[in-house]
Amino acid sequence: MRPTTLRTAGGVLALAALVTAAGCADRGAVSEDAADYPSKDITLVVPYQAGGASDLAARTLAEQLEQELGTSIIVENRTGGAGSVGLQHLASAPADGYTIGYLPVETVMLGFQGYEVDPADYDLIGQMVSVPATVAVPADSPYETLGDLVEAAEKEPGKITVSNSGAGSIWEATTAALGEATGTEFKPVPFDGGAPAVTAAIGGEVDAVIAGISETAPAHADGQLRVLAVFDEQPSESLPGVPTAAEEGVDVVMGGWGGIGAPAGLPDGVKQALEEAFEVAASSEEFTAIITDSGSIPVNVPADEFASFVQSETQRFEGLLSDRG
Amino acid sequence: MSPLVEGFGSLLDPTVLLCIAAGAVLGMLVGAFPGITATMAVALASGFTLSLDPLPGLAVLLTIYVSANFGDRVPAILVNTPGTPASIATTFDGYALAKQGRAGLALTASAFASAIGTFAGLLLLMFAAIPLSRLALQFGPAEMFALVAFGLTMMVGISGGQIVKGLMAGALGLLLGAVGRDPITGDPRFTFGVLELSDGIPFIAAIIGLFGIAEVFDQILTHRTGSGPAPITQFGRWFPRRSDWRVMVKPLLVGSGVGGVVGVVPATGGDIAGILAWDQARRVSKHPEKFGKGSLEGITAADTASNATLGGSTTTSLALGIPGDSVMAVMIGSMIVWGIQPGPSLFTNNPELVYSIAGIMIVATLLALGLSLLRMRSVAKLLDLPRHFLWTVILIFCMVGTYAVNNSVFDVGVMLAFGLVGLFLRRFSVPAGPVVLGLLLGKLAESNLRRALEIGGPSNILTSPLAMAILTVSLLALLLPPLRAAWRRRRTAGAAAPTR
Repeated sequence: MRPTTLRTAGGVLALAALVTAAGCADRGAVSEDAADYPSKDITLVVPYQAGGASDLAARTLAEQLEQELGTSIIVENRTGGAGSVGLQHLASAPADGYTIGYLPVETVMLGFQGYEVDPADYDLIGQMVSVPATVAVPADSPYETLGDLVEAAEKEPGKITVSNSGAGSIWEATTAALGEATGTEFKPVPFDGGAPAVTAAIGGEVDAVIAGISETAPAHADGQLRVLAVFDEQPSESLPGVPTAAEEGVDVVMGGWGGIGAPAGLPDGVKQALEEAFEVAASSEEFTAIITDSGSIPVNVPADEFASFVQSETQRFEGLLSDRG
Repeated sequence: MSPLVEGFGSLLDPTVLLCIAAGAVLGMLVGAFPGITATMAVALASGFTLSLDPLPGLAVLLTIYVSANFGDRVPAILVNTPGTPASIATTFDGYALAKQGRAGLALTASAFASAIGTFAGLLLLMFAAIPLSRLALQFGPAEMFALVAFGLTMMVGISGGQIVKGLMAGALGLLLGAVGRDPITGDPRFTFGVLELSDGIPFIAAIIGLFGIAEVFDQILTHRTGSGPAPITQFGRWFPRRSDWRVMVKPLLVGSGVGGVVGVVPATGGDIAGILAWDQARRVSKHPEKFGKGSLEGITAADTASNATLGGSTTTSLALGIPGDSVMAVMIGSMIVWGIQPGPSLFTNNPELVYSIAGIMIVATLLALGLSLLRMRSVAKLLDLPRHFLWTVILIFCMVGTYAVNNSVFDVGVMLAFGLVGLFLRRFSVPAGPVVLGLLLGKLAESNLRRALEIGGPSNILTSPLAMAILTVSLLALLLPPLRAAWRRRRTAGAAAPTR
């Protein structure tokens, strides 16, 4: 064996060691005074894969939080179990403010779907993003309004197919809620992700799709899809001329959302510091610009308001999901 | 000025070229690191590139995408560990070639095939994007099911002559593919209360275990008795000769065709294309018996196809705004933030951007090819290490890479468990390929069939001409070879009879 080989091998081993070390960075729990917070890096747990909409919202906010808190924030994607792996990991972390996490709408849904996730396990810091549900039909569809679609479902209950991003997703729940509110039934068709669900509607495989506004608005603008209604309190700027569901006589407001939380039992001072930093970060121009460009809606809901919202959402999904097993 | 000139011309910006260079080095490294996929690298890089201008940003992301598909071939050939799922089929012949002392030829042939495949895919992007994207929209659940069913017929082909054992292995793969939540109702199946299993068996961990770890375990157990394979110290000649090129022409064509089509179909990528093309090349080859035992044709077809999917996926992504594969899903997210809206109008409103994207990928391919040819000798030198060091290096890399996919120790456990499964399969000479195929395609077949039935019942499949055509081809692919063999036997028996 020649020395160059050894050098190469040494370099490779060093690289591997470095990657390992980076993966295990700073896990030591140090109890300390809230006044010093934060005195070390903060880990932000994202329960979904890098590169998705949740990850984008979390990473964009993390950049702003870093400036506010004056420390590094390490985003850690812990995926699996429809998000419950990451959420459970967050719930079991020490409540010292050095592990925080991205809380998606699934936080209030998974508990009713056979996963061990309980919103009461988290101290809520604030909500920063909202993705209202939309219902859209293929461009050449005979249905011009949400009323037309509901009418068709009334004629043949359970025959109108509506694609969504997956079994148990918020968009499937919205389909059920739409059926419940109009006293009829749609046939949800779960796909493996939002993009294939939207594709199925563009290709005319299904009668309609229910998906987040960020997924349907681009195809609407391109003329591939026609969004019939937004399930939000007010019409969206990215969908000019598209009414809300309420304007069409269907009183359903529903959608995905995301906020920041921490394991329950944060020291008061730490929680306050996080809330203050959150408020500035979530209203920063950098954050709002990127979230708006990605098609979602940036919001800035303070902790107490977010907590009561989470409570009402939990009750709503208990009613909507429990009878479906 | 024509959009082509304008699009390519805008790449002459030094920032863009610098970004391409950075992306190429990064992509080769992450590709070669087992477990770390192009998707992950692009996802993580997209966090940084959002602050760049669109063109340099795209240059980084696209170059990682392209060059990871070169880097991942190296561990597949040298240590039987696919660097990313796209190089699963590379291991079939690549590692066999390396064991025969022809690693050098395998590495360069693979690099050339990958480059030619990428170019073939890019031709589709530049000159046939809009019509091809209409084909992509034809692929609803019924057609996807048919395509996946066609993929499943390859279990016979990749069984390496051990058909019964191969089918048993395939059944095991299908069973393992059924683990996880039901795709339609969301009910847990075979999860035994293990939360991590509710999304199914982690695929990357499983393939690294079945191929790479099983190989290491096998070598550790056999090296004392001396019954294992001799260490790879001979690389043979590096560059393909004229006679090699002649052999490679047919698989290059097969690979480009298969890869282009599979790439265009949404949500399918290089892993499926590589296996599919490998089997198709075997069918048309004059030496099908060599496939899986070190066939230059096999590795050429696999690598051409898995890289030809890049152009196909990019086409679907840009022309429809529908991700052609998981990397493109991340990239579309970034493009939207940059204010680039992929979709049919991109080609009419902004054609120069499409050419810029193709141009970036061409430069990236040339760079990755150059890097591959230049650096391969030194990377291959790692194999000169005493084997106990080499095993350690491979194990550490596989563990770190697998952990990094989901930040999950569970995945590392799955990888090691599949290493044992792979070892067991090897000892009983059961081929591992069908297990991977079952695991990869079983879930896709099931979910698309169920979806198709949900949407319109059996008639949804029966009335789709495309689905029925693909299903007929699948049936023929299963029935023809045994029938032809039987006919041939009869003919030779008949011809032999009078002389008796």
